[in-house]
Amino acid sequence: MAGLDWPTDYLRAHVPHLAIVSLLALYPSIYHLLANSLGLYEAEILLPGVETMTAVLYFGLFAMSFDFISGYTGYLSFGHAAFYGTGAYTVILVANGAVPLLGPGTPFVVSLLVAGLLAVLLALVVGLVSFRLSGVYFAMITLGFAQVLYVFIRGWDYVARNPRDGPSVGPTHSEGFQLGVPGVDQLNVAIGVLTGDEVTMLGHTLGGTAVSYYAIGAVVLLCYFAMQRIIHSPFGRVMIAIRENEERAVAIGYDTYRYKLAAFAVSGFFAAIAGGLFAGFRRSASPENSFYFLTTGDALLASIIGGFGTLAGPLFGRLFDETVREFLSKSGQGGGLLPYLRAGLGEETLSTPVVGNTSLGTLIDTLLNGHASLYIGIVFVLFVLYVPDGLLGTVRQRVGGKLAHVSAVRFGDGSTANATTDDATGEEE
Amino acid sequence: MSLLELDGVHAYYGDSHILEGVDLSVEDGEVVALVGRNGVGKTTTLRSILQLTPPREGEIRFREASLVGLETHEVAQQGVGWIPEDRRIFSQLTVEENLRAAIPGSDGVSDGLALAFDSFPILEERRRQEAGTLSGGQQQMLAIARGLVGENDLLLVDEPSEGLAPQIVADVAEALSEASEDATMLLVEQNLPLALDLADRFYIVDNGRVVDTGDADAVSADDERFRRYLSA
Amino acid sequence: MILETLADFLTVSELGSVLVEGLAKSALYVMIASGLTLIFGLMGVLNFAHGSLTMVGAYLGGLVMVLTVSQSTGLVGRLGLFFVAIVLVFGALTLLGGAIETTIIRPLYDRPPIYQILLTFGLTLVVDEVVRIVLGLYGMQPLSDWQAALATKPQLLREPAALGPIEVRWLSVFEILLGVLTVAAIWAFLTRTRYGLYIRAGSEDTEMASALGIDVRQVFTVVFALGIGLAGAAGTLLMWDVAWGASVPLAAETLLPAFIVVIVGGLGTFRGTVVASLVVGMTDSTMTWWFQNYVTFTGLPELMLFLVLVVTLIVRPQGLFGVEEVGGH
Repeated sequence: MAGLDWPTDYLRAHVPHLAIVSLLALYPSIYHLLANSLGLYEAEILLPGVETMTAVLYFGLFAMSFDFISGYTGYLSFGHAAFYGTGAYTVILVANGAVPLLGPGTPFVVSLLVAGLLAVLLALVVGLVSFRLSGVYFAMITLGFAQVLYVFIRGWDYVARNPRDGPSVGPTHSEGFQLGVPGVDQLNVAIGVLTGDEVTMLGHTLGGTAVSYYAIGAVVLLCYFAMQRIIHSPFGRVMIAIRENEERAVAIGYDTYRYKLAAFAVSGFFAAIAGGLFAGFRRSASPENSFYFLTTGDALLASIIGGFGTLAGPLFGRLFDETVREFLSKSGQGGGLLPYLRAGLGEETLSTPVVGNTSLGTLIDTLLNGHASLYIGIVFVLFVLYVPDGLLGTVRQRVGGKLAHVSAVRFGDGSTANATTDDATGEEE
Repeated sequence: MSLLELDGVHAYYGDSHILEGVDLSVEDGEVVALVGRNGVGKTTTLRSILQLTPPREGEIRFREASLVGLETHEVAQQGVGWIPEDRRIFSQLTVEENLRAAIPGSDGVSDGLALAFDSFPILEERRRQEAGTLSGGQQQMLAIARGLVGENDLLLVDEPSEGLAPQIVADVAEALSEASEDATMLLVEQNLPLALDLADRFYIVDNGRVVDTGDADAVSADDERFRRYLSA
Repeated sequence: MILETLADFLTVSELGSVLVEGLAKSALYVMIASGLTLIFGLMGVLNFAHGSLTMVGAYLGGLVMVLTVSQSTGLVGRLGLFFVAIVLVFGALTLLGGAIETTIIRPLYDRPPIYQILLTFGLTLVVDEVVRIVLGLYGMQPLSDWQAALATKPQLLREPAALGPIEVRWLSVFEILLGVLTVAAIWAFLTRTRYGLYIRAGSEDTEMASALGIDVRQVFTVVFALGIGLAGAAGTLLMWDVAWGASVPLAAETLLPAFIVVIVGGLGTFRGTVVASLVVGMTDSTMTWWFQNYVTFTGLPELMLFLVLVVTLIVRPQGLFGVEEVGGH
């Protein structure tokens, strides 16, 4: 495979990366320019705000970590939320001085790493038991473990005064969480909507949210490249071999159990980092938005829409998800469909009855606002049916990358799986 | 016209090309054996007739009507029965339920059961027992009985003697030769003496193609010609 | 302290009521889970939308009751209407299930099983949100139980019943009866009818069944439809139980226990599902008692249920009655 002109290949392979990263880096400025300076109302409606984009980044990292294990080894980690929750709770509990040996003054980066290591331990414990199973059973046992933790954390009053609502960062850590190189003040910025640092550069002042966006984005990028390196290493090829045909991988001589366990630990680590970033930015977490199985569901959604087994795809899937949600958000503050219609059509048009006594405004309110889940669900179902490779997978296939081949093989295998197993002994070879 | 005709049948599992143009025909009332080494496409030939492994190319005609593109149950309903490799009885169903599942329509149930129990009295003794608890030989009897009660004109029989003790093989052979009085049979069998005992005619399969053919007498007289394709 | 509580627990009246409550919970669990297990057993589809369709059943059942029951309707009238509601909901959801199978599940049989999980998961999002929209149109709260539906419950089913020294609720007795009836009906269908035979044969080996002339695809449709119908019937019963009630979160509240029951019993075996319902129901009622009397940890019963799942999968991955290969890769 390694051609003679690998430097060119390497660069060509990274052109999309460069393009996407630059686009994401310029996003706050573009958004600011379009929405505020030029006052393009449409831009504000359609484009997610910078705060939402920050959420896209950390949750996208979580979805990528989910894809890392589920999309690449084929083992659906339905309890992945447990790692995300571990990350989020660890960060908050450390900040509140509730974790032994780690005071509230522990640098954020350190507590992120601690959270990641805790998740690795958890992944090893869960994985040791769960990887003896496969298919639906694997999905269910990981779901079972995660739900045990969810119920436990929801009832454990050590973590928060009201554990059902979850913990938030208390007065022992009123300042923002610092991202950067620990010990070097100049190389750190605080994150958070209200607690983030303002940074002035080249006469341009970035607010706390924008600074958080960049700081979190840098960590996510680092994590993405780390995972991407692993996928493209020999280790990653074994992961894919496990997905394509585990029996064959075993026959070649790989101890697949160890590979799966290691991959699971890695994905748990990055899930916890994502959870830690989420908690550091939001400064609170609840059992529902961290440990609950529907949090895994959201990662699954992002992975399928973005492209299962594409690593970067889930980030775009999450972007799609959040954009639609914000567009159809019920609150109607700033961006969103309803305020736009109100401004564009005027109250009079909106109150015109369309069906019976129901006015246009009410109709939009009942059918669209706050009901993003419906449309995302429909899109999701359509993707499962007709675009099984997701956004990024399909794009890569069109462009003709490596993945195209892999995924063609995968579906080829799937369609004949029943036939081959029955006859494997007699006729196949 | 032949009861069954295969004409240039190609079939694949995933990317592997298993049948590379199989031609054969089976006349009404005959017992035809497919012989050849492991993995040359014998089982796949039977599966392609049943549309379990639908052919990508070629034609399969049963009583002059094409089977290609039909659903498996439609092929079965036309009178093609299958006594598969490894028997594949429903182990959690009772012996009687296994037979009932194979009898078309509800009118023929008592006749069908009578036929099966007549041929295999042991199955009547065990009729209420879960089929998974039967011995290997009894399971093979059940698999054959299931083929018999299905009112089939053609039975596709795959390795009926595999994994059975010699004295049981004799019972199975007897059962099959009785069955062959009523039905046409396409038989896959590695056990050459058994195949010689049952078959009127042979096809030798190698690398996904029929490479030779002959009647039973010819085979007995000229063993070398066949052994070449049977040794591993 | 713990010894005193244990002594308390072991008295006839306490143990008896824990047992009866446990049976009532088992009855609910078996109703929630049997549709799921039939579908998985035959088709290998783990239907994530099962809980959502149970929830739809709860609302539809409630709707029938709210529309037909008036203040003056007596005990017999209300129970009679309840059975009408259960039959109607079963019918309606059976049709819906058939439609779902033929339109969106069927194209996925050729893909790896993971895609069926994904698709039905997407279906839950759509179904839940459609219910929210409909509730919104009528100004109803999606998150809290539908009180009007609860109000159609006859007075008797709100009262305690005394069986000798054991005090239980009439509702529990009613639930047990319905559970037994459901199990008996499914059992008879599976073992006494020709179609039931096809289903069991197909559950073991679809390929062999089709080679015997059984139209397995049609059996798939029928089983999926009936499984969804059962989900709806279960929902109708839950609508009357204050511990559950018709609300949108009922979808997740029923889905997870249904998964536990089905997996503990062994995916796809109805017998296993019945036994597992008993195990899970009894665990639930015992732990609920301990929570009420000794342990202060609120999540105790739920926690124990998931532990039962995890321990089962560790000790006996195929479940109590499962066959090893089913549901693997």
